[in-house]
Amino acid sequence: MSEAVFVNLALTVRVLIVGGFLFFLPRVTRVGLLFGAYVGESSAEGDAARRLLRSWYRGCVILTVLSLMVGYGISLAGRPLAGNYTGTAVLLLGALGLYLRTYSRARALAPPEAAQQATKAAASLYVGEPRGAGLAKFALGFSIIAAVATFAYATVSYQAMTDRSFVAIMFVPGLNLVLSPTVALLALFTVNAKRSIRAGSGGGSVEAQDAFRATMVNLMSWTALLFCTFMTVLSVQIVRLGLSENASLGAWVLWTAALFLLFLIFIVGNMVRILKGYGQGGARLEQAAADAALTDGIADNTRWVWGLFYVDRDDPSIMVEKRFGFGYTLNYGNRTAVLFVVAFLVLSISVAAFVLIGATR
Amino acid sequence: MASIAIDRGLEDPVYRQVADQLRRLIAAGALGSGTTLPSVRQLAGDLGVNLNTIARAYRLLEREGFLVIRDRAGVVVAAPAKEIEGPARARLLEELRATLARLRQAGMTTEELLTAVRREVAVMEGSKEIDDE
Repeated sequence: MSEAVFVNLALTVRVLIVGGFLFFLPRVTRVGLLFGAYVGESSAEGDAARRLLRSWYRGCVILTVLSLMVGYGISLAGRPLAGNYTGTAVLLLGALGLYLRTYSRARALAPPEAAQQATKAAASLYVGEPRGAGLAKFALGFSIIAAVATFAYATVSYQAMTDRSFVAIMFVPGLNLVLSPTVALLALFTVNAKRSIRAGSGGGSVEAQDAFRATMVNLMSWTALLFCTFMTVLSVQIVRLGLSENASLGAWVLWTAALFLLFLIFIVGNMVRILKGYGQGGARLEQAAADAALTDGIADNTRWVWGLFYVDRDDPSIMVEKRFGFGYTLNYGNRTAVLFVVAFLVLSISVAAFVLIGATR
Repeated sequence: MASIAIDRGLEDPVYRQVADQLRRLIAAGALGSGTTLPSVRQLAGDLGVNLNTIARAYRLLEREGFLVIRDRAGVVVAAPAKEIEGPARARLLEELRATLARLRQAGMTTEELLTAVRREVAVMEGSKEIDDE
């Protein structure tokens, strides 16, 4: 298979997965929410909402086709990699624009009282089980130990190498050090994520969210574990090849590609399974309770910026359910959440600086 | 499944709203003795209020004998006391007298007072659904 065909195939798969995901997302959100805005349970199923949905579907199809055409066009002009990146950028930026446009139209459907901060809130006294905490803690401990050890091993081993690029040796261990503990820590935060119930639903809503939350914690923990294992093995192999002269990756390229493909299938397969079986935030499990109104944080438009960022300084929750998307997001008004974002940025910049500065010596 | 609701717009502090509702649910038997309640962090997160608000409500109910706070097991509904001691009983009756006096001062008639008391007792005995007045 030539490089151009491989790159175009990768672009096609990526665009179809992301485009398909965006296309189906409105079908799995909780009743009452419409493209990141709370519009009320009845408005969310009215004619105006249906028109917005049709417009979204059209937009997704146009974007998917457009990004493939741009990508293929640049590839045919002799620059397949540039086509791959540009096609992906067209899809992502286009999707952001489409979302913001649809979100602002959805906000106009919200009832007038939704423009003011809600003073009422309700919570279930159902304890449930904050399930998955043990696995998340294990994933965090494992990923920190494995990623730090691999990064140190690669750094020390590089001293013995001749004629090797520092960036080529340190890129994978650096990525592992930044991403694996981050995903594991997010899984641990998700164990106690906020539950936004439907008051008076008789408990169906909170049980649905508990089930969804537990599944998400498991998925994130396993993602951290598998990703860290994959990156650790890859890092060690890269270092070993770097230490031996005249060595090339050879069959390892195929093995790595196959393992990474399996990892992607695991992630995408589980996302599809969860969205099909549970819906975002347990939306599908709580269908029977969907007549009752959503309460508090998720139903309060004043606490959300563009329907994407939740900001509430009084709310001690670190993670809250996404209004539009998959899984949970941070409460940017929470001190721990902000500290986490800052720590992530500092770690990313430090690792990148270490690798880049080391490469110049 | 029992749930509670708060309104930050009311004059009543949120911790008292939480405590009042839990007290009523326990008295009505909706939360039986031994029932575990959500942790302070979970309930505060679900309601979107400060951790101290829920901790204060739980501590108040612990002092009143409605809850037992254990380090590991969390917050558990206490078993009803077998018999109430003299001074404690006198204090509670004094509170009842003060409340009745305030209600009378607020304009309630004797008949209305009796109806309200009967209704609350009926709720506690499980013969009537809790209303949310």
